Amino acid sequence: MNRLEAVVLVAAVLLMAFTVEVLRRRRLSESYALLWLGVGLSALVLGLARPVVDRVSEALGIAYGTSLVFGVAIIFLLAVCINLSIHVSKLESRVEVLAEEVALLRGPIDGLPGPPDHGGPEGAPAPVINPDAVG
Amino acid sequence: MVVGRVSGQSIESHHPREGTALPSLLVIIPALNEEETVAVVVRGVLDHLPGDVLVIDDGSWDRTAHEATASGAVVLRHPFNLGVGAALRTGFRYAVEHGYTTVVQVDADGQHEVTDAKRLVELVTNGEADLAVGSRFGSDYDVSRMRRLSMKLLSRRVSRYLGTPVHDTTSGFRAFSHSAVTRFARSYPSAYLSDTVEALLMAGDWGLTVVEIPVQMHARKGGQPSASFGKSVYHLSRLTLVIALHRFRRPLYQHVEGVT
Repeated sequence: MNRLEAVVLVAAVLLMAFTVEVLRRRRLSESYALLWLGVGLSALVLGLARPVVDRVSEALGIAYGTSLVFGVAIIFLLAVCINLSIHVSKLESRVEVLAEEVALLRGPIDGLPGPPDHGGPEGAPAPVINPDAVG
Repeated sequence: MVVGRVSGQSIESHHPREGTALPSLLVIIPALNEEETVAVVVRGVLDHLPGDVLVIDDGSWDRTAHEATASGAVVLRHPFNLGVGAALRTGFRYAVEHGYTTVVQVDADGQHEVTDAKRLVELVTNGEADLAVGSRFGSDYDVSRMRRLSMKLLSRRVSRYLGTPVHDTTSGFRAFSHSAVTRFARSYPSAYLSDTVEALLMAGDWGLTVVEIPVQMHARKGGQPSASFGKSVYHLSRLTLVIALHRFRRPLYQHVEGVT
């Protein structure tokens, strides 16, 4: 084992250990933990199976095996980023819906009268949702 | 005994058990787009079980909530789909808030038999079980080979953890005792399929008695069939991770405030 392989080994093991620890503390969901454990494992394989990497890159017409690993890593990280942005977008829209629900539920709690044409006294003024916003 | 058969009948239908010391039963039915079957299930349960029915509409975009209300269930609606685990959590919290002592979980798609639900409830009310699981082994239930293998693996690991055999660890047909309900109202796993498997492990940690009985399972009347091969592998590895790490993980606690 040369020095590079040792470094890769240590880094991959650290990544996997960290993943397990945050999972243990319930700060990371199991699906993301599985993703990062998978990354750690592939790093191990790629780092220790140098001849395989070299042969694949040769077959693809890439001069250096390292470039292949870098390329794959960048594409993978890009995919993770896109996945996370999709996830954040979903969370954003959910927060909006939740806030709307809270607003609708809070109306009656704050003692606002209902719409004038539904059972309220005749000529009742339209509810002012946020007085500070007027004027 | 049965309150709230007609929607919006009275305020009391939402607080059916206040002031009574009698043990009372709540049937929780998580439902996602089950407009075709939910009414039949609710009526069947109301006719044969001495309890109230709570349908958790988990973000349906069809008439599930309407059908359930019209058939006499109390309906709580999630603003968007959160999964069965979260739906159950809502149900458990409702049960605690309204003083129900026993809960039975039934599927909205008509897979489960009311007579079996009765047997599960009896196991709990007799004090024989804190968590009674209705399992589908035995009945000719059509599952893929991958699914069967997963079930076997999960069953072996969960049974070893609990010290009691549980064959169908992902069964969503369960009855819960008062102590199980109060504990699960505080913490119930919400990730897909974890709700069933991890809940068993948690019941073991708390020293609750888990009992499994064989039940009839009908083929789904609606809904989607089992997941693809890739998805099965993914869920199996996720659940294996959950089980392997369970005894080392911090206990799961949500909703510590509000539930006493």
